[in-house]
Amino acid sequence: MRPLSIRVRRAAVVERRVRGRGAWLKLATGYLLTLPAILYILLLVGYPFLLSLYFSVNRVFIGGEYQGFVGAGNFTGLLDNPVFQRAFWNTLGFTFFSEIAKAVLGIGLAFLLLQPLFGKKIVRAFLMLPFTLPFALSLLGWQWMYDPEFSIINYLFGHELHWFQQPYPDWLGDPFWSYLAILIVNIWRGFPFAGVIILAGLTSIPGDLLDAAKVDGAGFFRTWHYVITPIIAPILFIGLIYDVTFTIGDLTAVYRLTQGGPGYATETLPMEAWQVGIVGGNLGQGSAITLALFPFLLIGVVIFLRMLYRRESL
Amino acid sequence: MSVTVPAIRQNRPGPRRISNRALLYLALVFYLTIAVFPLYWMMMAAFKSDTDLIDTSVSPFWFRRPLTLTHFDQLFLHTNFMTWYWNTYVIAAFVLLITLAICVPAAYALARLHVPGGEKIAIGLFMTYLVPPTLLFLPLSQVISGGLGLGNNKWALVLVYPSFTIPFCLWLLIGFFKRVPLEIEEAALVDGCNRVQAVIRVVLPVSVPGILTTAIFAFTLAQQDFVYALTFTSSSSQQLLNVGIPASLIRGDIYFWGELMAAALMAGIPVAILYNVFLDYFVEGITGGALRG
Repeated sequence: MRPLSIRVRRAAVVERRVRGRGAWLKLATGYLLTLPAILYILLLVGYPFLLSLYFSVNRVFIGGEYQGFVGAGNFTGLLDNPVFQRAFWNTLGFTFFSEIAKAVLGIGLAFLLLQPLFGKKIVRAFLMLPFTLPFALSLLGWQWMYDPEFSIINYLFGHELHWFQQPYPDWLGDPFWSYLAILIVNIWRGFPFAGVIILAGLTSIPGDLLDAAKVDGAGFFRTWHYVITPIIAPILFIGLIYDVTFTIGDLTAVYRLTQGGPGYATETLPMEAWQVGIVGGNLGQGSAITLALFPFLLIGVVIFLRMLYRRESL
Repeated sequence: MSVTVPAIRQNRPGPRRISNRALLYLALVFYLTIAVFPLYWMMMAAFKSDTDLIDTSVSPFWFRRPLTLTHFDQLFLHTNFMTWYWNTYVIAAFVLLITLAICVPAAYALARLHVPGGEKIAIGLFMTYLVPPTLLFLPLSQVISGGLGLGNNKWALVLVYPSFTIPFCLWLLIGFFKRVPLEIEEAALVDGCNRVQAVIRVVLPVSVPGILTTAIFAFTLAQQDFVYALTFTSSSSQQLLNVGIPASLIRGDIYFWGELMAAALMAGIPVAILYNVFLDYFVEGITGGALRG
């Protein structure tokens, strides 16, 4: 510790450095330190994105074969392509139905996690397993559970409980059941996340805020409208957007379980992009397919931003 | 004194409270079954002998013949399992290092140096986390194998994975740095440190828990990916666990279920444990806690 007089003088120097001469230096350092992060993202997210825009209006094939500009050709070709239509509606369907189911299961889970439970930390860790396990690996387990011969689901609900009649569902080989199979793994993977997000929403309301509303004479509906919704809604929306972007762009489940089949019953946009772009080597057409996801992501980002700012301003 | 009666009554579990409790545990069992059953089922397949696995004459929920480690032996002796494990952890470790090297300075600058437009930069970078790999894997495959000559090379993943670890980790670190009181940094400046010394001697040591948390997250996130690993690696020696396991143990129509499940469990459970440690920060990061500091 230096003598007080020196410390006071140093404090004045520091004050001046922060306010005056050092300010531009600080600014330059600030930008310089941020630059690597910005560059990395520009090069590995920004540039590939622009490249995919470029691919989508050209005939480009793997190996760098470039066969000229086609304008909107890659997109117009998609619109009356039944496989693309199927993939498009399946992608939306999987996302929509699984989000509803995740919300329902998530609400239950959130209220469960609100309760005092014995060994709650460990219980929660088990409950979170579907979300914390790498999806590509847990799907191997599901593949085994959906096995046409040894499906444990069929054994349980058919052989043991007699809810299913013979012939038992061919989970990955029948159009209806395979659609359901993909839906189920999506729900299974996402409901713990929905649960913790809803829990975060529920616990984000300060108790004294509710008391204050009560003292001010607000009834249930006013409290709901002016106190609860503005706090919870942004959190739920943010969680929803995050999960939607994950589900809508997910290749893993369909690739692992059905490859889009049988026929095109479970074809999704990511799966079709993979087949056209990587397997078929048609990067132009493939990029056009992935870009069909973009409007949804853009809407997601806009809502995300609005909610983020709304949360901040509270 | 009749006043004390309600208090006593409250402590005694009435019939209504017991039924609530029962309902609660019923719900708990329901959720635990859904969440854990697939894992239990994988475990059974991993440890059961092959003949037991396809014996339909007994209940499949349990085992009849003694449990065995054959599948694990097979995995270690006759597949590249150790190679995939090594690849996965080496790649994840490098991704972690790159992520921290880029994010710690950037997060400090954005949290502390009051750069004009800093918050917009932070949010802009965070938003790229919402861009799924599906949107980028086609152009990236061209960049990686065409432009950089890294086709079928696991090191391509070291380059690509930070594109999704940086946005989130940066976001988290900004939150952590904002929580370090400004006063301790100023105190260090007053005591004769320059800014760099203040950061190294005071700010970073205080931020170690936050930086460690972020490191765990980058490490875990790098092990969750499937799309990029599938696109950029094709030969077994270059593959990571998520891709190598199914690629080698599913041969045409033949599934080596026992080995598949043994491998998936050994690969997945460490990740699940790490991720679980991190989960609260993850939720807080997503829901915007980082902005408020």
